[in-house]
Amino acid sequence: MQLPVLNEAPAAKSGCSASSCGTTENQMDALPDSIREKVQNHPCYSEDAHHYFARMHVAVAPACNIQCHYCNRKYDCANESRPGVVSELLTPDQAVKKTMAVAATIPQMTVLGIAGPGDPLANPERTFETFRRLSEEAPDIKLCVSTNGLALPDAVEELSKHNIDHVTITINCVDPEIGAKIYPWIYWNNRRIKGKKGAKILIDQQQKGLEMLIAKGILVKVNSVMIPGVNDQHLAEVSRVVKSKGAFLHNVMPLIAEAEHGTFYGVMGQRGPTHDELQDLQDACSGDMNMMRHCRQCRADAVGLLGEDRGDEFTLDKIEEMEIDYQAAMEKRKVIHQAIQAEMDSKRLEKAEKSTQFKAEPKLATRPVLMAVATSGQGVINVHFGHAKEFLIYEASPDGVRFISHRKADQYCGGDSTCGDGESVLQRTVRTLEGCEAVLCSKVGYEPWELLENAGIMPNGEHAMEPIEEAVMAVYKEMAAAGKLDAKPEAMRASA
Amino acid sequence: MAVKIIESCVNCFACEPVCPSKAIYEAKPHFKVNPNKCTECEGDFPVYQCASICPIEGAILNAQGEAVNPPGSLTGIPPEKMAEAMAELQSH
Repeated sequence: MQLPVLNEAPAAKSGCSASSCGTTENQMDALPDSIREKVQNHPCYSEDAHHYFARMHVAVAPACNIQCHYCNRKYDCANESRPGVVSELLTPDQAVKKTMAVAATIPQMTVLGIAGPGDPLANPERTFETFRRLSEEAPDIKLCVSTNGLALPDAVEELSKHNIDHVTITINCVDPEIGAKIYPWIYWNNRRIKGKKGAKILIDQQQKGLEMLIAKGILVKVNSVMIPGVNDQHLAEVSRVVKSKGAFLHNVMPLIAEAEHGTFYGVMGQRGPTHDELQDLQDACSGDMNMMRHCRQCRADAVGLLGEDRGDEFTLDKIEEMEIDYQAAMEKRKVIHQAIQAEMDSKRLEKAEKSTQFKAEPKLATRPVLMAVATSGQGVINVHFGHAKEFLIYEASPDGVRFISHRKADQYCGGDSTCGDGESVLQRTVRTLEGCEAVLCSKVGYEPWELLENAGIMPNGEHAMEPIEEAVMAVYKEMAAAGKLDAKPEAMRASA
Repeated sequence: MAVKIIESCVNCFACEPVCPSKAIYEAKPHFKVNPNKCTECEGDFPVYQCASICPIEGAILNAQGEAVNPPGSLTGIPPEKMAEAMAELQSH
């Protein structure tokens, strides 16, 4: 399958490359229609969709068949949000109940994924029992699975039976030398195999599984964890290889490593990438591959829109008490999905018009600027600065506005204040926005206003309820008109 | 003779399906081995299956009461480094 190159796709669609639009080209616009149709309501696969549609994970898969240096199976903190962490392990029966309860309560939930806390395919009975029952009892929910790939070739046949048209494989390397630095061991053919030998088997299985899925017409997204000094130089090669085999989306995520997680990387002081390093790598890969930039690295039991987790509303004791009429829920869901789809379509058209207008305007000769946006969905600025759990980062430039990434307002732990280093939550949040020159929210209070200004970040509450890209462009033009963008600051990013 | 699962087990289920003698069962507060059924994999495999997939160092003991996977053997984290990191956390 030949994939068009995104971000630099001058020939795609309207002949409008991202670098000449008023707003970023829809991430999915350059994909073939058949794929776009499959992912347009999938929040994890479509940047556009993640503003509207929700997902959930059910934690039915505890066992794992490999060890990764960024994972520790021992610890579980309710305040943490990162892959591999869950609060309650579910049986397939509980998972089905929970899924239907969530689908009825949050009708914009379109996708059910199994992502752990171990490897879903290392728990084939529990995973496939859940999929089999859901495909029968809740046929309007999309099913997907993520895996480390070791058991994938043996599972492809079964996966294709359950109507699973999305699979995510975590591929951190295609070179066993590098793999040995990421995977200390695998369990394979009744033995624990360590080092390069184990890594090679894992890599071979991942690549074989990827090829088999593509041959079956199943969409494959590839996740990679960026580990500075280990695989950061290597991931562009991974991106090229998986694209050539037919993966349609590459999601490069930053390593999360803290000593308190008890992981190898955490304890040994391996650092994660900076925002700039991650963005540079994503940009470097984007010439070859459609890159995902909106991943929230969520827990294996997350529920809700990507930026939120409503898992607390659906604990086992709570779902036990819910009476769900799924037929009725499906009717309601259908109507709501159609309405969302219509809204998305009209916004897409609006964006296209705006971009035509923008192209007709005289081009600015100003430098690019990063801005942070507080949103809880629908593609508009609608969250108060103090309530934002995360910010979306956009880049505005004479070429238009493009989505760059998200940043958590309070890094990885929303727990009690004693686990910090004395810095206030507000100070931490302001530091998170480093590199941004403006922050757009529905409102900004007096105290953060001053802190933000002192940090060189212009607070802006004037665009509440406006579409994100339009507001970002409006602020950019104001900055340009005020002469703030003439000089190139020393720290300007070379790649921007 | 039998292996034993001790309290550091995190209930990840990995060992249960790989046991050739079906000696491992889910229990509270953690998985257990039925010593009457456990064969230490003799006749089936050259190595303990449970201990070959278990991700937790020290969670499975052999018949002599020794950890099949001693500290540092699975994660690659030197035990003293782990102790240091944990002591650092405690002091906060």
